[in-house]
Amino acid sequence: MMNLFLLGSRRYYVLSMIFILLSSLLDLVNPRLIGYTVDTALGRGTGRVALLVLFVALFAALFRYLFQLTNAVGTERFVKRLRDLLFSHLIRLPYAWHRSSHTGDIIQRCTSDVETVKVFLSEQLTSLFRIIVMMSLSIFFMSKIHAGLTLIAIGFIPLIVLFSMYFHGKIGKAFMKAEEEEARFSAVVQENLTGVRVVRAFGREIDENERFEKKNYLYTRMWIRVLRLGAAFWTSNDFLAAGRTMVVSILGAVLCVRGELSAGSFLAFVAYNAMLDWPVRMLGRIISEMSKAGVSVGRICAIMNAEEEDKPETPLCPPMDREICFDHVSFSYEDAAEEVLHDICLRVPEGSTVGILGGTGSGKSTLMMLLDKLYGLSGREGMSVKGRITIGGVDLKDIDTGYLRRNIGMVLQEPYLFSRTLSENIGITQETLDMGEVKRAARIASLEESVDRFYQGYDTFVGERGVTLSGGQKQRTAIAQMLIRRPPVMIFDDSLSAVDAATDAAIRKALSENIGGSTVFLIAHRVQTLMHADQIIVMDRGRILEKGTHRELMERDGIYRVTYEMQNGLEPKEAGA
Amino acid sequence: MIRRVLPVLKPYRAMVFIMVLMGLFSSLADSAFPLFNRYALDHFVAGGTLKGIGLFAALYVGVLLMQVAANYISMSYVGQIEVTVNRDLRNMLFRHLQSLSFSYFNQNSVGYIHARVMSDTGKIGSLLSWRMMDVVWNASYLIFILVVMFRINARLALWILLLLPAAILAGFYFQRKLVAVNRQVRESNSRIVGNINEGVTGVRSIKTLVIEDRISRDFEEETGNYQRMAVKAGHYSALFTSGLTFASAAALALVLWQGGSLTEKGWMQIGTLSVFMSYALGMIEPIQYLVHTVSAAIEVKVNIERVTKLLETAPDVADPPEVVERYGDMLHPKRENWEELKGEVEFQDVSFHYPDGEELVLEHFNLKVPQGTNVAIVGETGAGKTTLVNLVCRFFEPTQGRVLIDGRDARERSQLWLHSNIGYVLQTPHLFSGTVRENLLYGNPEASEEEIAWAVGLVAAGEVIERLGGLDAQVGEGGDMLSTGEKQLLSFARAILADPRILILDEATSSIDTVTEAKIRDAIRTVIRGRTSFIIAHRLSTIIQADVILVIRDGKIIERGTHDELMELGGYYHDLYTSQAFPE
Ligand SMILES: Nc1ncnc2c1ncn2[C@@H]1O[C@H](COP(=O)(O)OP(=O)(O)OP(=O)(O)O)[C@@H](O)[C@H]1O
Ligand SMILES: Nc1ncnc2c1ncn2[C@@H]1O[C@H](COP(=O)(O)OP(=O)(O)OP(=O)(O)O)[C@@H](O)[C@H]1O
Ligand SMILES: [Mg+2]
Ligand SMILES: [Mg+2]
Repeated sequence: MMNLFLLGSRRYYVLSMIFILLSSLLDLVNPRLIGYTVDTALGRGTGRVALLVLFVALFAALFRYLFQLTNAVGTERFVKRLRDLLFSHLIRLPYAWHRSSHTGDIIQRCTSDVETVKVFLSEQLTSLFRIIVMMSLSIFFMSKIHAGLTLIAIGFIPLIVLFSMYFHGKIGKAFMKAEEEEARFSAVVQENLTGVRVVRAFGREIDENERFEKKNYLYTRMWIRVLRLGAAFWTSNDFLAAGRTMVVSILGAVLCVRGELSAGSFLAFVAYNAMLDWPVRMLGRIISEMSKAGVSVGRICAIMNAEEEDKPETPLCPPMDREICFDHVSFSYEDAAEEVLHDICLRVPEGSTVGILGGTGSGKSTLMMLLDKLYGLSGREGMSVKGRITIGGVDLKDIDTGYLRRNIGMVLQEPYLFSRTLSENIGITQETLDMGEVKRAARIASLEESVDRFYQGYDTFVGERGVTLSGGQKQRTAIAQMLIRRPPVMIFDDSLSAVDAATDAAIRKALSENIGGSTVFLIAHRVQTLMHADQIIVMDRGRILEKGTHRELMERDGIYRVTYEMQNGLEPKEAGA
Repeated sequence: MIRRVLPVLKPYRAMVFIMVLMGLFSSLADSAFPLFNRYALDHFVAGGTLKGIGLFAALYVGVLLMQVAANYISMSYVGQIEVTVNRDLRNMLFRHLQSLSFSYFNQNSVGYIHARVMSDTGKIGSLLSWRMMDVVWNASYLIFILVVMFRINARLALWILLLLPAAILAGFYFQRKLVAVNRQVRESNSRIVGNINEGVTGVRSIKTLVIEDRISRDFEEETGNYQRMAVKAGHYSALFTSGLTFASAAALALVLWQGGSLTEKGWMQIGTLSVFMSYALGMIEPIQYLVHTVSAAIEVKVNIERVTKLLETAPDVADPPEVVERYGDMLHPKRENWEELKGEVEFQDVSFHYPDGEELVLEHFNLKVPQGTNVAIVGETGAGKTTLVNLVCRFFEPTQGRVLIDGRDARERSQLWLHSNIGYVLQTPHLFSGTVRENLLYGNPEASEEEIAWAVGLVAAGEVIERLGGLDAQVGEGGDMLSTGEKQLLSFARAILADPRILILDEATSSIDTVTEAKIRDAIRTVIRGRTSFIIAHRLSTIIQADVILVIRDGKIIERGTHDELMELGGYYHDLYTSQAFPE
């Protein structure tokens, strides 16, 4: 998985490794120079040595700069790629996946977990390389000076590694818990903010605040645990490292006194040893930090490994202005024991209009979502789907999903608008914004009059999810959004519920005048909206109870007639009179 | 700027004090270690004796151990201060959010507010803990070694000191640039987060509209933007650090050049030379940190600004001090002083426009609703119906005129008092994730099982709940696992359970089928008896029985009266009704 993300940034990392190697090598020259100065050159032109030191340092600085730059380029390329892939994968995941995941959690994975991985790559991974380089080089130089002392100096390293491994596991676990708690906490905040209007309407601020504070305390506690572990580890790790330095200096001094080491070599040895100090300390830290990165990578991969929407093997793009046929379709959601749709059979000739009336929760929206393949038909997403849906005889399963959805315009029951301007929202499916088209669609959706009343007209900014529009304006914007594509199949899922009867009629009239030949599914609770449909079906608890034209259904003593009569203010029993 | 958030440290004064003390000790110990080496060099190596090395080692270990202890204490305190300060800040912000009004939430996206609460606070917390600790440690370390250097050899120390201002100035030069770029990086980042948020919450629309490619493209454009900025920032920061490492080498060269000749003349011992060399090398890191910390603090300024801005945002609808005094505020109500709400509502010459719009939604609006009246509101979409009831709830306040509740200006009583007495079914139903029961009890956590059963029965939701799997079934995030109509039914039941004095139904049944609606119409009638109620509906069959029907158009009442009266009038309502009822 990481390989996929690293594509395109790998060569920068290779470059940065080369530069770091060069700069580390140069860093190691200076102690040698110092030792040399003290032993031999002391008194004879230290100035020249100093110049040399400066010269070496110039190159070391140059390489360091190059290293950091290539590292930054590599990392930012990686982050961009990771984010792009993650995002484009995310919006292509099945709708069912989104429904079963928490918004706050997903967002956390896309932001703070990405950040953790980024820090790991940009700081820790290169550090690790530098550590290894520095370590081997200083050990090499040290061993040239005094082999025995070197052995002692590096004898500590396995100890430190073992010690960090032990903490690695502990910190990783604590961090994982903290992350999970953060996800839950963040979900609480997210929910409070999205439901803030309900909170206010019921005056429940106190309880919400309590809930928040409780989660806040819990989350804080988790973090304190991580930090305590970290503090314990860091300090003891530092202690081991400092102890190492001390042992080496004291033993070195002893060797010096015994005459086994010259003063200059001793100085150089101590300098190399000091250089080893940083890598040794960092090694431990990186090992323990690596556990965090591991956790984050796991969380990101959980998204990346989720399968995208079904893709037919050989996607077909048949003409869509054909008969649509539901053939014994049954469906149930993963959790629900009961079937939401039972054995639905329906033929919709091309260019005809189907009106759907039905009880609350009878499965109307679900049926339409199946037609739009929002729920995969293979049942791979954990739902059970039986029967088949065909368009012009072609099984929906075999039709390219993008092609299908582009040709089926669906206005959702609870439309979502993007925080852009009104015209951008309406024209969001268009490559280039053609105001003529936008206005045409708005006109058919009877939105024009409302827009005219806005001071900024089509440039009015639509707040998040359309909060600054009235209910009916929002619905009509969604209708216009769909209409601009002139799709051959249209679905209106209860899309006229928030507009008054007159506007409802106006929209339908404009539709039939402007959009000839489209197959239309019209879900509504108002009989008046449906009655002119070529075919009306009445659904109840996942079944089609009645089917026919208005006239036919009025002759039957069923839900349709009852509904009609109730809406006309007649008592049902008087109906026959 | 930082001063504005310093008060949050107040409860942790003792901890901060200990943290600083331990930090000082630790840096003192660190600056002392080269002295140990010097002693070893001058005394043992140069002296050629091992006498006293045992004591020396013991002392060394002792200081080391003490430093470890100090480090542990300061580090765990720093961590603790960080998270607790974060926690307190988050609590503060959230508490403040609870007092802000609708308009704030209309103007700021969920993602934006979320980031204020969750991530800005984190930046501030780490400024007040880790960054502060860094300053303490590095500054004191720098001072200690400078003092030691001057005491050992003032001349050499002066030479090194010459380098300092140059290094620091150069550091700040680059950091200034870095701060500017980083600001852009962060802005781009928050746009990216916003995009992710939209991509996740609007995924269904993205799919049905098939705009995945377009949305991805917009996203990639933004991440490309980010990448460019971030690389630029990386460039400056690379210049900065490599410049400083070069400066450290320069200091080393200086010591070698000057110190070398001093040693040669016998004025300085080798041990001292080594001390100077360690210091020269060791000095740069603290400088680097200090400069970096200062610029990090400058960067946090943005976060502090945002947080204080949020904390200082006065709610558009606020209770004046004397009201808070008497009735309590959002989180500390003084229920004992609350009068009973009877339910008389009066609009006196009310005009209103939204804070972010200029067009008047209501104009010189007058209306008196006696206690217990059932008011129905009809009108075209966008006529201002929802706005009207939002004014009753005081979610917004009139830009002109006033709203009276029980004969007194609504502003004379606390918002919580009013809201606790209101049951509001919003036009867009929203449920919280959790069980059906938790949602039903939202407006009245004390309701008994019988009351729940009663409310569920009234709205004919029994069958629905059974299908969902009982009262303890999960409804999903935002009620996602229910159909729209089912959500409406449950939010209706929730409002009824709250036992409000004023009941507001904003198209509460727009997505409910007619048969169910007819069943609950009688229920509505029983529930609203004795309560003031406002019912907004497009399906007129729901409101025929209302005591008074208002027809709103362009923010004005154009007709008012009972159904029969309006039918007789033969105006807008008559046309609306007949066109709806007898379409043929
Ligand atoms: N938060 C807001 N900010 C700015 N303008 C708003 C806001 N909410 C509503 N409006 C505008 O105020 C006007 C009245 O809206 P309101 O929601 O009261 O209409 P409504 O009568 O309830 O319509 P509908 O029947 O469609 O729900 C509309 O033009 C709308 O665009
Ligand atoms: N994600 C889901 N998981 C489980 N059950 C679901 C889910 N979505 C919907 N349901 C259930 O499926 C049934 C049918 O829902 P659907 O949304 O299709 O109804 P509907 O006919 O559109 O109703 P409405 O008129 O209220 O919009 C409902 O009982 C609902 O509770
Ligand atoms: Mg539905
Ligand atoms: Mg409204």
